[in-house]
Amino acid sequence: MAVFLQSMLSGILIGGVYALIGIGLTIIFGVMRVINFAHGDVLMIGMYMTYFLFTLLHIDPFVSIVVTIPLMFLFGAFLQKVFINRVLGALPQNQILLTIGMGLVMSNAVMLAFTSDYKILSTKYSSSSFNILGISISSPLLISFAITIIITVALYWFLYRTDTGQAIRATAQDRGAAQLMGINVKRMSIIAFGLGAALAGTAGALISPTYYIFPQVGSVFTLKAFVITVLGGMGSIVGATLGGVLIGIAESVGGVYFGSGWKDVIVFMVFLLVLLFKPSGLLGTSKD
Amino acid sequence: MNKAIVALMLALMCIFPAVVTAEAVKLGFINSITGPEAPIGENLTNGVILAIEDLKEKGINVDLIKEDDTGKPEKSMAALEKLATRDKVVGIVGPYTSATSNADAKMAERYKVPLLIPAASKEEITRQNLQWTFRTSGTTGDYATILLEMASKLGQPKTLAILNENTDFGVSAANSAKAVAEKLGIKLVFEEAYSKGSPDYRSTLAQAKAAKPDLVFMVSYVADAILLMRQSREIGLSPMAFIGAGAGFSVSQFASEKEISHGIFSSTQWTEDVPWGNSKAWYQRYEKKFGKSPTYHAACAYESMMIMGQAASTVGGDREKLRQQLRTGKWNGILGEVSFTDYDGYQNQRKAQMLVEQVQNGKHETVWPSELSAKKPIWPFPGWTK
Repeated sequence: MAVFLQSMLSGILIGGVYALIGIGLTIIFGVMRVINFAHGDVLMIGMYMTYFLFTLLHIDPFVSIVVTIPLMFLFGAFLQKVFINRVLGALPQNQILLTIGMGLVMSNAVMLAFTSDYKILSTKYSSSSFNILGISISSPLLISFAITIIITVALYWFLYRTDTGQAIRATAQDRGAAQLMGINVKRMSIIAFGLGAALAGTAGALISPTYYIFPQVGSVFTLKAFVITVLGGMGSIVGATLGGVLIGIAESVGGVYFGSGWKDVIVFMVFLLVLLFKPSGLLGTSKD
Repeated sequence: MNKAIVALMLALMCIFPAVVTAEAVKLGFINSITGPEAPIGENLTNGVILAIEDLKEKGINVDLIKEDDTGKPEKSMAALEKLATRDKVVGIVGPYTSATSNADAKMAERYKVPLLIPAASKEEITRQNLQWTFRTSGTTGDYATILLEMASKLGQPKTLAILNENTDFGVSAANSAKAVAEKLGIKLVFEEAYSKGSPDYRSTLAQAKAAKPDLVFMVSYVADAILLMRQSREIGLSPMAFIGAGAGFSVSQFASEKEISHGIFSSTQWTEDVPWGNSKAWYQRYEKKFGKSPTYHAACAYESMMIMGQAASTVGGDREKLRQQLRTGKWNGILGEVSFTDYDGYQNQRKAQMLVEQVQNGKHETVWPSELSAKKPIWPFPGWTK
C-alpha cells in the first residue's frame, strides 16, 4: 500500500510539471493550429537559463522563474513574429518542418556554446524530503508542484477573466470570426506563443533542481508534451492539465506494477485507448 | 674542388646519421565525443591524446583519425566502416559504450580490421568467437566479482537488490551480479531494469526499500547515477552498502555531490594508487594538462592506444600481422602487464585486476583489495547526512 501511495504521489507531483509543458503546447496549437515541435527545446533553453542564473548570479531556481518567465515570453514572441508568422497559412508539413528546424538550431547552438556535458544543478534542497505516514515527499518536487498550481490558476484567471484572455480564446475557437469581431489575431498569436514559451521555460526551471540538463534534453519532453496535448484534446487547457497528471501517474504506477522498462508502453497504451474511444481526446471538441 | 665537397658531405653524414623518420602509422579512434555519454568519452579522448604524445617520444608517429559515434551503435558502425574502407587504417581503438562496442566488434570481423576495445565491459563482446576483436577492459563479471567478494568479506550481506539501466552494459552487469551472488550465497530480493533518462525513479526505489536488501547494486551512466542516489536519499533507502558498477559512479562529478556520494562503493580498473607503471606520475600529468582527474576509462584508453601504436609500428600496414602481434604480444604499462588470452569462454580478453574505490568526503579513494589500497573502507554505509 505504501508503495502504491508513494508511486501515486510521485506521479501526481511530476504530472503537475508535465501539465505545465502540455498547457504551453496546447495554447499555441489552439490559437495558431501550429504544432510546435520545438517546445522541448524551448524548455531546454529555460533549463539553461535557470542553471546559469543559479551558478553565476546565485539566484535560487524557484525564485529565478520571476526572471525566466518574462525573458522566455519575449523569446517566444520573437520566434512567433520572425518565423512562425510567415507559415501560418502554409501547408501543415511546412509548419512542422519549420518548428523542427528551430528546435534543431536551438539544441545544436546550445551544444556548440556549452558542450554536451550534463549539467547538474545542486541546491541545498535538491535531495531533501520529508515523511508523512511513511510516504516520503521530495521537497523540491512539492515546491514545484505548488508553483505549478499557482501558475495554472493565474493562467485560468487570465484566459477566462481578462479581455485579452477572452480574445485569445476567441481566436482559438474561430480565427476568422474573431478577426471579424475586431480582435487583433496577429497580436493574439504573438501573446499565445509567448505564453507557450514562458510556460515551457518555467517547466524547465522547475525541473532543473531535480533533473539534469543537456542540449538534447528537449526531445524527451517534446514527445511527452505532444502525448499530453493529444490525450487531453488538442487546444483544451483543462484537458492538458488532466493529461499531464494522468501521464505522470501512468508512468509512476505503471513503472511499479509492470517494471520501469514498461513505463512507456503503459503510457502509450493509455494514450491509444483514449484515442480509440474518444478520438478527439479527453476534453477535445472535434472541429474541422 | 667538387670532390672535396662530396667527401666532406659524406664525412658529415657519417658523423650525423640522418634522422630516420619512420612512416606514420595510420590508426582509427572511435569514441562518444558528443551525446549523453560524452562526459566519460572525454576521459577516453584525453587518454588517447597522452598516448599519442608518448608514442611520438618512442619514435612512433601516429596518423590518428578520430570519429564521433555520439553513443549510438549505428553511427559507430558507420564510423568503423569508414575507417576500415575509406581511410584504410591498420587498426582501431574504441568505441566507448558496450552497445557500440558490441556492434563494432561484428563489423571489425567483417572488414578484418583489428579492433581494441578500451573500456566497454559487456561480457558477450569477447565471447562470440571473434578473431579481430581485442579488449583491454575488464568484464562486468569482473566488476560484480570484486564488489560482491569485498562485501562478503567486510560484512555478512544476505540479500541483494539490483537496479540497472536496460542497456547492453546494464543488463550484462545485472546478469553477472546474479551469477556471482548465487555463488556467494547472497539472495536476490529485488531486480529492476529501468529505462534511462527518466526524471522519476522514486517509485522503483520505494519498492527496492520495501524489499529490505543488505546490498544495493546499481548500474548506470553519470547523470542517472546522481539522480538515483538523490532519490534514494529522499526515499530513505539505506542498506548495508551501495555498490555501483563503475561508469557513472566513478566520475568526479558524481563524487563532488558530497551529500549523496559519501560512502558509495564503485568498481574500477585503475586508480592513481596502483603500483603499475608510472601511474602516479601519469595521474599528475593528466590532471595538469586537462585540469580534471582521470577515471579508469582514461587509463584504459591510454594503454589501449599505446599497445595499438607499438604493435602497429612493426607491421607496416599489414592488418593480419597486427592481429598476430596483438595475440602474442605482452605489454607493461599503467595497467600492469597486459596480454590478450582465451579463457572462460572469452577470446582475446585481458585478465583485469579489479579494484574498488569508495567516495569519502567528495573524493574517490581506493579501498579494495587492501594490498593495493591507500585507505580503509567505510563499512557499513554511514547513513544519509541530514
